[in-house]
Amino acid sequence: MGKVVSLDNLLASMEARRTDVAPWLGALLGEAGEKFAHLGLPNRRVEAWRYSDLAKALHESVKLEADADAPPEFPGACLAAFENGVLVDKLSSYCAMGAISLRKALAQQDPAVAAHIGKINPQQDHPIVNLNTALMEEGLVLHVPRDVTMATPLHLRFNWSDVETQGDDGRHLRLLVVLEEGASATIFESHDGAPSFATIVSEFRLAANSSLRHIRLENFAAAARQTAVTLAEIGEKATYRGFYLSQGGHFARHEALLKLAGEQSFAEMDGAYLVADKRHCDNTTVVTHAAPNTASKQTFRGVLAGAGRGVYQGCVQVEQAAQKTDAKQLSRALLLSHRAEIVTKPELEIFADDVKCSHGATAGELDANALFFLRARGIPEAQARALLVEAFLAEALDTIGDEVLRAPAAEMVRKWLARHAGEASHVE
Amino acid sequence: MLEIKDLHVNVFGKEILKGLSLKVPPGEVHAIMGPNGAGKSTTSYTLAGRAGYEVTGGQIDLFGEDITGLSPEERAAKGIFLAFQYPLEIPGVSTMNFLKTAMNAQAKLRGEKELDAAQFLRIVRAAAKELNISEDMLKRPLNVGFSGGEKKRNETLQMALLKPKLAILDEMDSGLDIDALKLVAEGVNKLRAPDRSFLVITHYQRLLDYIQPDVIHILSGGKIVLSGDKSLALQLEENGYDAVINKAA
Repeated sequence: MGKVVSLDNLLASMEARRTDVAPWLGALLGEAGEKFAHLGLPNRRVEAWRYSDLAKALHESVKLEADADAPPEFPGACLAAFENGVLVDKLSSYCAMGAISLRKALAQQDPAVAAHIGKINPQQDHPIVNLNTALMEEGLVLHVPRDVTMATPLHLRFNWSDVETQGDDGRHLRLLVVLEEGASATIFESHDGAPSFATIVSEFRLAANSSLRHIRLENFAAAARQTAVTLAEIGEKATYRGFYLSQGGHFARHEALLKLAGEQSFAEMDGAYLVADKRHCDNTTVVTHAAPNTASKQTFRGVLAGAGRGVYQGCVQVEQAAQKTDAKQLSRALLLSHRAEIVTKPELEIFADDVKCSHGATAGELDANALFFLRARGIPEAQARALLVEAFLAEALDTIGDEVLRAPAAEMVRKWLARHAGEASHVE
Repeated sequence: MLEIKDLHVNVFGKEILKGLSLKVPPGEVHAIMGPNGAGKSTTSYTLAGRAGYEVTGGQIDLFGEDITGLSPEERAAKGIFLAFQYPLEIPGVSTMNFLKTAMNAQAKLRGEKELDAAQFLRIVRAAAKELNISEDMLKRPLNVGFSGGEKKRNETLQMALLKPKLAILDEMDSGLDIDALKLVAEGVNKLRAPDRSFLVITHYQRLLDYIQPDVIHILSGGKIVLSGDKSLALQLEENGYDAVINKAA
């Protein structure tokens, strides 16, 4: 059984967290705590959480199994190793790239933290962002100076192996990454094991001409409950490229809330989710075009087996000033089972008149003609199915480009396919 | 080699084949011709074992073994090859990867040793060269962006590599101009062998100028109404299906 995380526990912890901190921090935590107390844990009566009821998921009992894969190794990267929500310095090498722990940054009253935290694409009324802010303690801060290109990726390794050490108020981690003008970096996140309840809020500030490559792999065990929020503000001619791969969990949600704040800024997101058994996986995006000549492109591909449930909510907002916006959005889902489910909700909110916005969504079974063709060539049914699912996902994996970055994602897909892709849609 | 006995087949609950009987001895090329709706495609799909083609009577024997209940992959491993009228495009699977998967899958089903990477490459390259298939085509996703002629050449390449006992060519000529047709027919003719039979299914006589059959069968109303040598095709060309079928009846 996982720990019971309740609203009361969370509010009590927030109260305790606020004692003995610097006044500026106390004010920040206090304000967020009050907002959260008012909003509560999100449930399906809140529109943005209609298909992913976190409050309900936290009440459900989860069965803990030792089915977790070992976290991926990433030779050559600087590592920040979080074990059960605690940054473990003796396993880490992040100092080499100038990053510091959030705990240290808060204690030292790091001016970069005070200047940026909670101020990047701010979300006043977001329950999880407020919850995370009110309880933030562990995390990492990375500041990349002007025109510096980080030679190695930063590997943020979140591994959840032991429920007992995770507390009854969950674990709430915060990342702050500031790229100065012309800087560039690659951030690789891996999420393994089973957090009993974790929130992770990442804030990325991309100044003019900077670029960030952001890769997330959620390779959770079935009992995992996590909701993560990526907040980014993208400056003039800056580029954000995200790749998100998840196999869901008891409750796994990732929100990418991106603001294209400078002219000619660009954001691209490619996502793939593989959801089997009774897992739940939610990808929610809100891309705000706030400046002229900005472009965004997002493609999400889902493969759902067993009684898996996938949610994709994609919202594109175009502000009045953001003329010549070019926004593309595509969602494709493959259902391998009649018990599997996909919820797709595209939204466009356009306040400018000279824009190009497109969205499309498909959901279906494997193509029966293609399946017969492969079988007629002697490829057994389960293998033929796996080949077609692999082909469907290959296009997502290919967007990673770099072979070293692609390998762990490809490995995760391969393992999942070996377990689930042969599942037939018509014999349920 | 192939013997079809009084085959009855329903598709979506409607009877399409109504007592089809046919014998193809080893090494022979037989053509099945017939008007639209006669059951030509149903015959080829049923022989290949496609789901939804329900055999309600009769049976299909290959080398004296009843294969009526076998899956498509089992039939393929036993030597049945269906060249598709409209070869499928499969994005995300390279032609090379597909060929290797198919060859190894069949070897495995037959209990034979799989090819290693070097052997495979050598065999594929040699066969591709014969059919004027470029290295680039082999690297591209299966049939994606291929012209009609390229797709049929690719089918012929698969046939050459999989070495079937019975090749069923379903409307091989559709979508091909004369030059492409000649090239594909040449590829097919090279594969003729004493232990390999062909069933050429076609609407038009044109294809049979290039792939010369030993026997022609005329399919109408779900059964063979007339069989004869290749002069039958010329009669059809001159008089049309109605006249020839009525005369036979």
